[in-house]
Amino acid sequence: MDLLLDFIIVGLSIGIVYGLVALGISLIFSGLDIVHFAHGEVYMIGAFLGIAIVSISGVPYFGALVGAMIVTGAVGVVIERVFYRRLTRGGGGYTVAGMGMIICGFGMSVALQNVAYLIWGAAPHPYPVSFGMPIFLGNIALPKSYLYILVSALVLMAVLHTFLTRTKLGLAVRAVAYNKDTSYLMGVNVPAMISLIFGVACAMAAVAGVLIGPINYVQIEMGYLMLLKAFAAAVVGGFGSLPGALLGGVVVGLFETLCAGYLIASYKDIYAFLLLITVLMVRPTGLLGIIVKVKA
Amino acid sequence: MLTIRNLRTGYGKVQILRGIDMSVAEGRIVALLGGNGTGKSTLLKAVSGLLPVWSGSIEFNGEEIRNRKPNVIVRRGLTQVTQGKDMYPAMTVEENLRIGAYTRSDKAGVVADMNKVFDYFPVLGERRRQLAATLSGGEVQMLVIGRGLMANPKLIMLDEPSSALAPRVLLDIFSIVNRINRNEGITILLVEQNVRMALLLAEYGYVIRDGVIHIEGDARDLINDDNVRLAYLGGTVADAGAELAH
Repeated sequence: MDLLLDFIIVGLSIGIVYGLVALGISLIFSGLDIVHFAHGEVYMIGAFLGIAIVSISGVPYFGALVGAMIVTGAVGVVIERVFYRRLTRGGGGYTVAGMGMIICGFGMSVALQNVAYLIWGAAPHPYPVSFGMPIFLGNIALPKSYLYILVSALVLMAVLHTFLTRTKLGLAVRAVAYNKDTSYLMGVNVPAMISLIFGVACAMAAVAGVLIGPINYVQIEMGYLMLLKAFAAAVVGGFGSLPGALLGGVVVGLFETLCAGYLIASYKDIYAFLLLITVLMVRPTGLLGIIVKVKA
Repeated sequence: MLTIRNLRTGYGKVQILRGIDMSVAEGRIVALLGGNGTGKSTLLKAVSGLLPVWSGSIEFNGEEIRNRKPNVIVRRGLTQVTQGKDMYPAMTVEENLRIGAYTRSDKAGVVADMNKVFDYFPVLGERRRQLAATLSGGEVQMLVIGRGLMANPKLIMLDEPSSALAPRVLLDIFSIVNRINRNEGITILLVEQNVRMALLLAEYGYVIRDGVIHIEGDARDLINDDNVRLAYLGGTVADAGAELAH
């Protein structure tokens, strides 16, 4: 019973981290009409930036979290403005430019990885933070970092949700995500909103990176598996749906942790994709199918 | 209020508008008529800034607005009401209206205008918390017109309100548009395929064909003009046959 509780807490935490990255992928998909294949690398860069900030003496873990969010968000805006804007201007999604965008995303992924290699090297970096003694729940010892993940992620989700549903800017973001031309006619500065969407999505990935850092080592290849898992989470939840991305993340995280715990642990990374295939067979739109957006 | 001179534009290398001249006087309802593929929508896109203009001029309230960004043009008081399908189905009726007032910062004015929209279209008030996806076709058309009003515009370009609407619903909507024009003093450029309905509402009309203004004149004269029936594609099959025989 204790073991199950442990698995559930760990699965939930990992799942929420998947959900954060998936949320970014879904945001970018709805805002820019592209699937961003370099998002795993943004997550990796975020994790490294977190280490860099936490290494500055005196900055607490949460300072690093917020700092990594802001810097990674800004990096994201620069990437979108400089590299992606030219392609998305020609139309994303199913257009020829949309295909170019996919290739550009892969290229960005390789480029970011090598930039990270030049700066931080190939060796895994431990996170230089300590959360003190683990919490004891009955017979199990749970590192505090899992609680930090749960709390930070929930707060962040609440902030994002409030932003999207309660503010004028959030309303404009949702409008742009659904239909750019109409939103332009409403007076929304669509290019600025697209930058904002991309920046927020990258900031979310950075949070995921900083949160998972203390559990796993941080290294330049960490993005690749995260991208696949987050992608699975986004599809399981319903691609393009924001609550779906979070739900998908939690479902994937719980499923793989429980399977790894009770079945064969060394197949841990297979279970997520097993779930993905099953969901696609049973319910192709994902768990929370959404109103299909207008494609130009 | 709106003066378009020798406007030329198109998509890529394909020219659609081949020199459009027209003007809309303040306070009037002017109709722009034409069938499918005649350039109506292209003209709207060019005026509202969604499509780059190749040459010519678009003057609004004495200011050249050619090739300005759409979000800038909206702030000048020129709003395009798109077809009903361009509402936001995943947002509530109220959110759809609020996004219409995006350019405004006078909260009291926005609230007052929302109440005004609910006066014109009581059904929207009843459904303000409902998702727009649950509205009927006529209600959606009311929603996009209401959304246009929320920008507090001086001129509304109304894009084909008759598309996919039952005639009786359309008549209701047209009478409300007429009231909006008279009560609010908002100038209206009505873009329509339904010539007869549009000319009942409008005072002046332009008929566009193959990217140029083909015929223009007072609505009363146009409605009885055989050339108008022939010029746009709403003529009968017999008309089309007669035209081909010429």
